[in-house]
Amino acid sequence: MGRVIVVTSGKGGVGKTTTTANLGMALAQRNRKVAVIDADFGLRNLDLLLGLENRVVYTAVDVLAGQCRLEQALVKDKRRANLVLLPAAQNRTKDSVNPAQMRQLVAAIAKVYDFVLIDSPAGIEMGFQNAISAAQEALIVTTPEIAAVRDADRVIGLLEANNIKRTSLIINRIRPKMVEVNDMMSVEDVREILAVPLIGVVPDDEKVIVSTNKGEPLVLSGNPTLAGTAFENIARRIEGEKVPFLDLNVKDGLFAKLKTFFTKPIG
Amino acid sequence: MTADLPHPDANAERTASTPVSPSETASSAPEDPVDDPVSSAPASPELSSASAPIPDSPTPPSPSSNNLSPDSVSSDLPHSDLPNSDLPNSGIPDTDDPQTDVTQVPAGVMVQSDPQAPIDPNAQIRIKTEQGKLWAILPPEPTDKEKTLGYSWTELIQQLQQRLNGDARSWAPGSNVRVMARDRLLNSTQLQELAEVLTKAQLRLKRVYTTRRQTAVAAATAGYSVEQTIPRLQMTKPANGENTSPLAEPLYLEMTLRSGAEIRHNGSVVVMGDLNPGSSIVAEGDILIWGRLRGVVHAGSAGNASAIVMALKMEPAQIRIADFVARGPSNPPNQIFPEVAYVTAQGKISIASAEDFSRPILK
Repeated sequence: MGRVIVVTSGKGGVGKTTTTANLGMALAQRNRKVAVIDADFGLRNLDLLLGLENRVVYTAVDVLAGQCRLEQALVKDKRRANLVLLPAAQNRTKDSVNPAQMRQLVAAIAKVYDFVLIDSPAGIEMGFQNAISAAQEALIVTTPEIAAVRDADRVIGLLEANNIKRTSLIINRIRPKMVEVNDMMSVEDVREILAVPLIGVVPDDEKVIVSTNKGEPLVLSGNPTLAGTAFENIARRIEGEKVPFLDLNVKDGLFAKLKTFFTKPIG
Repeated sequence: MTADLPHPDANAERTASTPVSPSETASSAPEDPVDDPVSSAPASPELSSASAPIPDSPTPPSPSSNNLSPDSVSSDLPHSDLPNSDLPNSGIPDTDDPQTDVTQVPAGVMVQSDPQAPIDPNAQIRIKTEQGKLWAILPPEPTDKEKTLGYSWTELIQQLQQRLNGDARSWAPGSNVRVMARDRLLNSTQLQELAEVLTKAQLRLKRVYTTRRQTAVAAATAGYSVEQTIPRLQMTKPANGENTSPLAEPLYLEMTLRSGAEIRHNGSVVVMGDLNPGSSIVAEGDILIWGRLRGVVHAGSAGNASAIVMALKMEPAQIRIADFVARGPSNPPNQIFPEVAYVTAQGKISIASAEDFSRPILK
């Protein structure tokens, strides 16, 4: 049985889908057999981020309705054959699937794949319940904003109530410069409230937008980016490796040091 | 994060005393810079219409609550250093002697006698030891009208699960649980869910007490023993309004209450852990938090104004004691030390350092 991990957040727009796409790809690059499941029925995006939109033929609902076999619905990634996507139906709503069906689907997939990543929809309604029903572990994605953290806290509580005890935290889109001047919650501020083991900090990076629009996960790009490296590190930590956290202040730190060095004599 | 918010008056520190109208409380904007303390102050007509400062507590009105004016809703919390320093007497009428105002409801003198009293929509599944047995007491079956108000079954189950996660040490593993379903309809799936949640907490569902035939059939089919006569438990609040139960034994929880979690208990509550923002505790007795208090707490919820709230780190969003409401201080204190919130003789909620605090003798 593979590990079934749900990627969730409560609040929308914090980077669940981006995280799923990048972690799925990063794990696949480490030669694991990975299946990513889009549980956002009616608002599917994961296929876009992976650049697989035009390969989607069947969806999870088709499998459940018996209109195709599971293997037919799994879309093989064009770059990595050991990464597959189970797309969500776009013409349905979240109520078209129930948790029991979701468990059944995931159980069938987890038999074959090492990792099953489930991309949860925002909110805590039916779609969320479906997404977490089959999971053993959870990755909580949050941004350093008070609303995102509050929602993440609620979601962690719900996960505990659903007996998913193994949760780790990803803090996404952090801007070290803003943290420095106290305009943004720091990693410590977030951890202090959520009290969940931290598995990664991903800096805010414009290249994420570019990669999203291109359908090329950041971890694929030839020249390494800070955000891409952060995702790769998270993938390694998921596998139990001890990887030190990126020092996000490196560049700015140097700059700042030079700046203070030059300004000091004057000021 | 609160540091950069503008404060209405800079020198007010933690003693700023802006009356909170119940409506304001709902929207809870403590740092609203345009919130003029004077204009929003006393008895405006809309205040008196919303005279229940605690909207979600449909407990029967205590005898004292009649002469309780909405103005007794107190204010931004004065903080420890100056517990009783000259607080602007935010509209509390002079005649309104707080000592009579906050009289405790003597146990057993519940005035409410209407048998058709509305069911508390906030009722949760309660776990209780009584007569040497462990009981899970379900809220009564909601009427059609109340169905939309009360918690759904899923919510009830989730709350129960969260609670059981918190106090797994209160009973021996493997204990049998009697389910007091009363007139609540339970189908076999719901019974199964209940049994699963109890099993996860190492409790065994053993016997179901119900007055409904359907529930009895479902329970018997699932293999539980069924009892169709309902023993009188103190917790089951007989509908004839004769509620003689003093406070229940304290509830001890070892958990972090996260956003959305809510604990209701008809006794004191002790939490070893934090109350995160967005969580709440409603207790008829005292509330003691061995950790950080950042949620909403309501002590003495049945009208006991001598109840207190104590926390190692007091940073509440809002504190309610009996019928008093106060919002948390806009500026968190610089030094952190254990503090106690209580109702002063002036009828305000005030915070004092735990070291200096001794329970005021009301009446």
